[in-house]
Amino acid sequence: MNINSLRSFKWVSGGLALFILTVLVLLPLLLIFWTSIYPNEQLDIAAPLRTIMGSHDLVEVLLNSIGLGVSVILLTTLFALPLAWIMAKTDLGHHNWLDVVLLIPFMTPPYIGSMGWMLFMQTGGYMEQLLPASSVLTPYFFSYGGMVLIMSLHLFPFLYLLLRNALLQIGGNLEEAASVHGAPFFYRFKRVIIPLLLSSYGLGALLIFVKTIAEFGTPATFGRRIGFYVLTSEIHKYISSWPIDFGKATSLASLLLGVCLVMWYIQTLISSRYSYRLIGGKGTRTKRYKSTGIVGVLSWGYVVLLLLASIGIPYFSIITASLLKLRGEGVSWSNLTLKHYAELLSPGSQGLEALLNSFTLAIIASSIAVILGTWFALTVGKGATFKQKITDLFSLLPNTVPGIVIVVGLILLWNARWMPIPLYNTYWMVVLTYVVLFLPYTVQYVKASYGQIDSSLMQAGQVFGGSKLYVFRRILLPLILPGMVAGWMMTFTISNRELVASLLILPPSMQTSATYIFAQFEQGAVAMGMAMAVISVGVTTILLLVLEYLSPDRKRRQR
Amino acid sequence: MNNTKGLSALLLTTIIGASLAGCSSSNTSAANASNPTSNANTTAQTEAPQPTEKALSGNLVVYSAGPEGLATKIKEGFEAKTGVKVEMFQGTTGKILARMEAEKSNPVVDVVVLASLPSMQGMKNDGLLLPYKEAVNADKLVSDWSDTADGNYFSYSASALGIVYNTKKVSTPPTSWDDLTRAEWKGTVNIPDPSLSGSALDFITGYLSAKGDSGWDLFKQYKSNEVAMAGANQEALDPVITGAKSVVAAGVDYMAYKAKAAGEPVDIVYPAEGTVISPRPAAIIKTSPNVDNAKAFIDYLLSDEAQALVAKAYLLPGRTDVKAENRANLEEIKTFDVKWEWMNEHSDEVSTTFTQIFK
Repeated sequence: MNINSLRSFKWVSGGLALFILTVLVLLPLLLIFWTSIYPNEQLDIAAPLRTIMGSHDLVEVLLNSIGLGVSVILLTTLFALPLAWIMAKTDLGHHNWLDVVLLIPFMTPPYIGSMGWMLFMQTGGYMEQLLPASSVLTPYFFSYGGMVLIMSLHLFPFLYLLLRNALLQIGGNLEEAASVHGAPFFYRFKRVIIPLLLSSYGLGALLIFVKTIAEFGTPATFGRRIGFYVLTSEIHKYISSWPIDFGKATSLASLLLGVCLVMWYIQTLISSRYSYRLIGGKGTRTKRYKSTGIVGVLSWGYVVLLLLASIGIPYFSIITASLLKLRGEGVSWSNLTLKHYAELLSPGSQGLEALLNSFTLAIIASSIAVILGTWFALTVGKGATFKQKITDLFSLLPNTVPGIVIVVGLILLWNARWMPIPLYNTYWMVVLTYVVLFLPYTVQYVKASYGQIDSSLMQAGQVFGGSKLYVFRRILLPLILPGMVAGWMMTFTISNRELVASLLILPPSMQTSATYIFAQFEQGAVAMGMAMAVISVGVTTILLLVLEYLSPDRKRRQR
Repeated sequence: MNNTKGLSALLLTTIIGASLAGCSSSNTSAANASNPTSNANTTAQTEAPQPTEKALSGNLVVYSAGPEGLATKIKEGFEAKTGVKVEMFQGTTGKILARMEAEKSNPVVDVVVLASLPSMQGMKNDGLLLPYKEAVNADKLVSDWSDTADGNYFSYSASALGIVYNTKKVSTPPTSWDDLTRAEWKGTVNIPDPSLSGSALDFITGYLSAKGDSGWDLFKQYKSNEVAMAGANQEALDPVITGAKSVVAAGVDYMAYKAKAAGEPVDIVYPAEGTVISPRPAAIIKTSPNVDNAKAFIDYLLSDEAQALVAKAYLLPGRTDVKAENRANLEEIKTFDVKWEWMNEHSDEVSTTFTQIFK
């Protein structure tokens, strides 16, 4: 009896979860495909291809995106591989703070970082003011190469973490084992290290590729300056500036979606075929080089240089720009002022309103996302039924699909003529979009927590007479709580800085900190925009650090 | 006798009273609807002796092309005057048109304010606008810029396009549009993107309408002289303020005046051969759910109060009887002989061709 009611409850809950995911995530994406193959009220499967191939510009845009992805993979590898080796194999790796610092470039919203770089490098920019001779570099920087550089400096920490962890896990034992069996260095390198590293690298490279072609911030700021257009910036253009063209936008979105799904499929293939169990019971032992002498100089030099480029330059520009009285006057002590901060934070100002909007939106969205995400994660559980797998797939889909594609889908769905729920153009549309976009974070974190819990704990609770609710409240909830908090925090931070969705779906007379910053760039009040950037990035970073410090499972989350 | 008299009097009063009460309770609305004048008379007698202005309440959704500061002041002024809550989306002309297109199936907007007259004429021709012939002060507007005949749109302000330059980098400013095709300006000139900036679109179409097809030569020469197309107006101006570029071709004048007043090293010239003035029209959208509020908003835009705000924002006032402050007035700016109808018909095509040349 008890078992039966539990089963039917699970069945209803699982079905409902799947239904909600279908409406929230799947339907918008299907609508994009549908709109692109159903132009002019007529089914035409090849329409998106024809739209794209028929236009020389769009083919170029597609090739731009792909080329950019490949270039960024190459440059991030160049940045991340030496760094991973240094942090895994020398005693610089003992400096834990470096890992936190190395996350800063990744956590800096790309539209702000690019702006910082542009202010620094442009003719008459900060670099030229500090070092007039450097102006010869300017034309080289405002080019395709500069764009690859900016995007790589944003993304390299991601690849670095993957590679470093892989290197740490290979550890000394496997190499030693090979050595004991008489393998010379080259052979060890070829047969042990490369294959073990390659699977992690392959995964990392694919994710870098997907993140690069899905990125909107850098193309929207830097790319527009140099006239380099990619899929995301063109999609945005076709749905937000005159003359509007949903057909082209959805065709490009379908294409972007397709590329990302293929990459995601290859990634699952790699990770299922080439994953090795590297963690044994014995704990890994790593031989580390002392960072003295030439090794020390080179290692520290490399790390410092990389940090200067990825954090020093953009943040120098952002902070300087937020303090300048007159932008035409250049950097000097007499031209500095705090008035932009005062103006921004004065009661009733648009800036403060935008900042508060961002915080309330982020709090509401992350709370809803945590509740839904936890539910979905528990529904997926450890089970491997078809329904659970599908739920898993749908709930993680927004992480694979570029944000702008989801947003286009959500607009198509919620602004459709037949949609009875009048959500579009309201506050709740924004909340809904954030929830959909960032659902995967909670799902992933909670699933990870849940996966570690042995079901015997719950069984023990039931055997001793605990009701379902009691078992949930006293056993399950405390154990998955760290995952929920991590998911909440991540959603909060990211939705606080979210740009592309906010640009496209905010109702009139509403701004968030990200759209405020973007609008200030457009309105010429760069100082105000940068002051907002300092405040919003500062506050969320401090929150993240506090959580990082308080969180009991610090190690595990440093993936 | 006395009794019966008293009784009949009582009966009479109750009957009259009851019938009057019944009349007032059940027939008021009908009476109001059928006989508004008498109703207005009675309210005028019983209540304050004000003109018959309707009390406004509720919301108004306005999509407004910048400048942001002015739009915010107008919003606040209108809210204070009428008590209507304004929800305002601020964007460039391109973004506003795109937003309206995206919301075609569920329109929410009441009033649009654009920075491009031909775009508004296009909307009028598509039958999207609600005429408001009775707009107060409409007769004082510059007649070329507004639909004075049918009251479809009202240009409450305008800006002239000029050559904006950085005073630190440029000692002898260019005096004609052709100057910028010379080698000395190579790679130092920005031009706003006409798909984002309504005024830039007006300049390009206006120039072409006056010069004919040979007008394209200027823009082709600009391209070969490495003139860069750089976002909307402010994005084009920004690098000139910081000194990254020297000149904006077809820059809006009010932004230059504003930056100059703030102390930035910029100034503006209007080329001697003429330029284009880009009016900024406002109109009520036909699907507006708040027509009364929308009409009041148009009246406010044309009022002395709002026109004074316009003049303070370094824009050209739409009314001929209001003068601009601290800037060149309408009669001091030489303009091309532009053809607004041609501009409206060709704006899409010109915008596309232009962006293709400059991409």
